[in-house]
Amino acid sequence: MKFLGLLTVLITGFLLIQAERDFPDWGDVNSPASSYKLSQHYITQTFAETSVPNMVTAVLADYRGYDTMFETVVIFTAGIAIIGILRVFGSNIKPDHPEVVLTKKKPDLIVETTCRLLIPIIQLFALYVVAHGHHSPGGGFQGGVIFGASFILLALARDLQYAQQWVPENRILNLAGIGIFIYAGFGVASLLLGGNFLDYGVLTAIIPGDVKDAHSHSMLGVEIGVAFTVTAIMFSIYSSLSSNGHMKEGI
Amino acid sequence: MIIDTISICLICIGIVFFIGGAVGILRFPDFYTRMHAAGKGDTCSMFLILLGLGLYQLHEPTLANFLVFGKIMFITIFIMVTSPTSTHALIKAGFEEGIKMWTRNGEKKGNVK
Repeated sequence: MKFLGLLTVLITGFLLIQAERDFPDWGDVNSPASSYKLSQHYITQTFAETSVPNMVTAVLADYRGYDTMFETVVIFTAGIAIIGILRVFGSNIKPDHPEVVLTKKKPDLIVETTCRLLIPIIQLFALYVVAHGHHSPGGGFQGGVIFGASFILLALARDLQYAQQWVPENRILNLAGIGIFIYAGFGVASLLLGGNFLDYGVLTAIIPGDVKDAHSHSMLGVEIGVAFTVTAIMFSIYSSLSSNGHMKEGI
Repeated sequence: MIIDTISICLICIGIVFFIGGAVGILRFPDFYTRMHAAGKGDTCSMFLILLGLGLYQLHEPTLANFLVFGKIMFITIFIMVTSPTSTHALIKAGFEEGIKMWTRNGEKKGNVK
């Protein structure tokens, strides 16, 4: 059996290495992805049009902002669906697996000290990833996940209720809604100012700077909206799943 | 040249420790000793490998390379803090769950639960 597994791995690896030779070279100008006309436009014009050096963020939050808005809505919907399926209220709490529900842990000194050391750094780094998303890899989704993970770390190190002092359930749902509201707000604002939905160029009327800066700043705003939603939904999914939906105590 | 040699040596030693950790996870008899191998081996090998990679950056001493070295050292500090803590938390959770410790002939020693 082990020999069969080894054989499979070797054959698959050999095929993958063979197939790798057909890839275009790193940064090859003549590869299909780079020679396509639309890609040419993105590569040559992104910085001139949006003053954002990171092309990926520009495509994600500006050229295809409509798509990204509904990605955020998908995350929101996923969080709502998990709450809707799992959440149980009040008297009908019946833990299906009583052995999973742990008694209240007393905090561990080493773990707690490390968390106290790390959580501020993690949250600061998350804000950096959000705010620096259009200059380096990063953005709202990544920063939001890191920020949500810091609360999950807190819940793991102490318990769920301790973490919920900072992010109680209603605040989570408010934050998730606010995120989408911010994103859609940028779209509606550009509609009101006479442009298309999420056409950031017309926002020069309310954002200082020229058209390029309006694009750049609106992208930051939109990323912040995404970060709100992702943070809230990340922690909400964790707390629903880890406590069988009664949000009292979790793993 | 010298700095390249040093970094290659560090990375090789790190890989040896890594292999030690991997073999330990597979070969040690119970949960605690396995976690011991995983935690110790990974932390030490990660430290050595990242130090080697950081030193390799320095063979052209420009400001940008020093910044990369600093970032790698920051990751190293992060791993040095978090990896032992997670090992500790896992072992403590296992101990509170009452996982039995391995002894040579199955005899009881000390305050085994």
